[in-house]
Amino acid sequence: MKKTGSILASIALAASLLAGCSANGGKQDADGAIQIGLAAPISGTQAQYGEAFKNGAELAAKQVNDAGGIDGKKVKIVIQDDKGDPHEAVNVANKFVTDKDILAVVGHFNSSATLATAPIYNKNKIVEISPSSSAPAVTNAGEYTFRVITTDAFQAAYLADWSKELGYRKVALIYEQSDFGLGLLDVYKNAAPKNNIEIVAAESYNPGDKDFSTVLTKIKEKQPDAIFIGGFYNEAALIAQQAQKLGLKTDYIGVDSLYSEALLELGGDAVENMKLIGFFYPGGDNEEATKFAEAYQTAYNSKPDTYAAYAYVATSVVIEAIKHNGADREKIKEYLKTLHDYKGPTGVLSFDENGDVVTTPERLTIRNGAFELYQ
Amino acid sequence: MFLQQLVNGLTIGVIYALIALGYTMVYGILKMVNFAHGDIFMFGSFLGLFFMKHLHMPLYLAFLLSAAATSAIGVVIERVAYRPLRTADRIVPLISALGVSTFLVSLAQKLWGTEMHPFPTAFGLGTVTVGSITFSEIQILILVLSFILMLGLHLFVTRTKTGTAMRATSMSLTNAALMGINTNHMISLAFAIGSALAACAGIMVGIYYNAVYPTMGYMAGINAFTAAVLGGIGSIPGAMLGGILLGVVENLGGAYISTQYQSVISFTILIIVLMIRPTGILGKKDINKV
Repeated sequence: MKKTGSILASIALAASLLAGCSANGGKQDADGAIQIGLAAPISGTQAQYGEAFKNGAELAAKQVNDAGGIDGKKVKIVIQDDKGDPHEAVNVANKFVTDKDILAVVGHFNSSATLATAPIYNKNKIVEISPSSSAPAVTNAGEYTFRVITTDAFQAAYLADWSKELGYRKVALIYEQSDFGLGLLDVYKNAAPKNNIEIVAAESYNPGDKDFSTVLTKIKEKQPDAIFIGGFYNEAALIAQQAQKLGLKTDYIGVDSLYSEALLELGGDAVENMKLIGFFYPGGDNEEATKFAEAYQTAYNSKPDTYAAYAYVATSVVIEAIKHNGADREKIKEYLKTLHDYKGPTGVLSFDENGDVVTTPERLTIRNGAFELYQ
Repeated sequence: MFLQQLVNGLTIGVIYALIALGYTMVYGILKMVNFAHGDIFMFGSFLGLFFMKHLHMPLYLAFLLSAAATSAIGVVIERVAYRPLRTADRIVPLISALGVSTFLVSLAQKLWGTEMHPFPTAFGLGTVTVGSITFSEIQILILVLSFILMLGLHLFVTRTKTGTAMRATSMSLTNAALMGINTNHMISLAFAIGSALAACAGIMVGIYYNAVYPTMGYMAGINAFTAAVLGGIGSIPGAMLGGILLGVVENLGGAYISTQYQSVISFTILIIVLMIRPTGILGKKDINKV
């Protein structure tokens, strides 16, 4: 009995493998659906973002399908798990480019995976559009590589301008010791002189550090108008809390990676008045953001985060391209090149000649324990 | 700035000291490094959080109950994971301790999730300024409570009969047993006290950084273990001295050299001390007679 069971199981396994082969072999999907690839970290340490990607992309497809599809054809999202790992991402990219039914690929999540796969997508002339890879290097990754998130450099330069408008003269920088943090530091530092800002301190920390008292005591001496935080929300909350305990009173300004509900929860009243930028802000002037948040809530019974919104936007612009230019890999790229002022939940966007997004962030601040538009 | 950095260093130093005591007491008796001790500290922090957030208890009650519950956990761990291996090769309980460490982290992740939790207390946000130094309430609490706990422990081991029995056990397990001391009780007691101190440290760290998370025991454990070795592992005053020294050196190094090199500076000092005095600052030479 036991033996029969295992034989049956191996037959089933073989059958499923064969079925998998034929799908990759380039046969038309049974119902002739329009297929868009989604490369996301479904498993691994970044799985929470993979989940957001999947939900965002599938919501975009569902909305088109509910409205009758594209010329009567349904849109189907084909998901491959890149585990957030550049090696795995290359395998995923090779699978996608050899499957002729895949018209474009939404992904990958992290910049390392996007950069590792860019040569494959570009050689095979298929669009890869990343919802979330913000490293400056992605700019020159190839003409088929697009992204709907701005670069870190753009954010730092934008924040330098805003700092000037806020009247900051002396700014201290606290940044993460990583490519991300160092990139922010460089750009902000270089933009400081022309904005009449003096950098009074620049201190780094390692991702995961918890004790900022040494750094903050040093900074307190310099009496800065503001502290620029080039890192993530966990550390930003700790910095603000510990500064409060040291009696250091100053403003804070930071990048969109601080923008998370967790910042409010961990930071309490220490993060009150913190200034930061964000691209996806439901409940403000951007109706698309509010509509998306409501649709997401109905579909998944949870609040969407920034990454779900970005994945939704990336999928939506590909669908938009297919609607206008037809189901053709090359024509999708042509359409994206000319896309202008597309209104989505993360703002109004266009692409420049490098496939980088051009958009304006929302200026946010924290009042009474909630994010609101800065006015 | 010097005095302020000194206060910051002292604050984190006494925390290291409290955790280091757990390492040193267990090592003193069993000659074993309890690698799960950092995670016991983490559990103490989570239990304190649980009592305050979900059962709405006042802070002092959270301290007492968490210390009691955590010391029970420490005793159970010793009973289940270390005692059956006492006669085994020294490496065996060490591996068992690593297993317990992984188990505790995974359990905490299952129970409370992998994310960082804030500590729900308004306490500790006020500040007191003396001259150029600003103390936060929580820093004062940490300094005062830690000194009371350390003084209490010192009086216990030097002035009471049980304390004397414990010291005897740490000198020689066999001889203490021959003198009629129930050494198993003494070992359990060492685990109980060490875990209770770690729990108090855990709650204070939770409030100080306003962050409690399952992997918080890792770095805290490494630093405290370093402090224990620096002061002389097995020596109770050594652990206190080592902890305070490490905290202060780390902070001053960060302040006057670079925060990037904080750990480099403290570990360099550790290596230098061990080169000059392999037993640590207050450690006694352990002569193995054959």
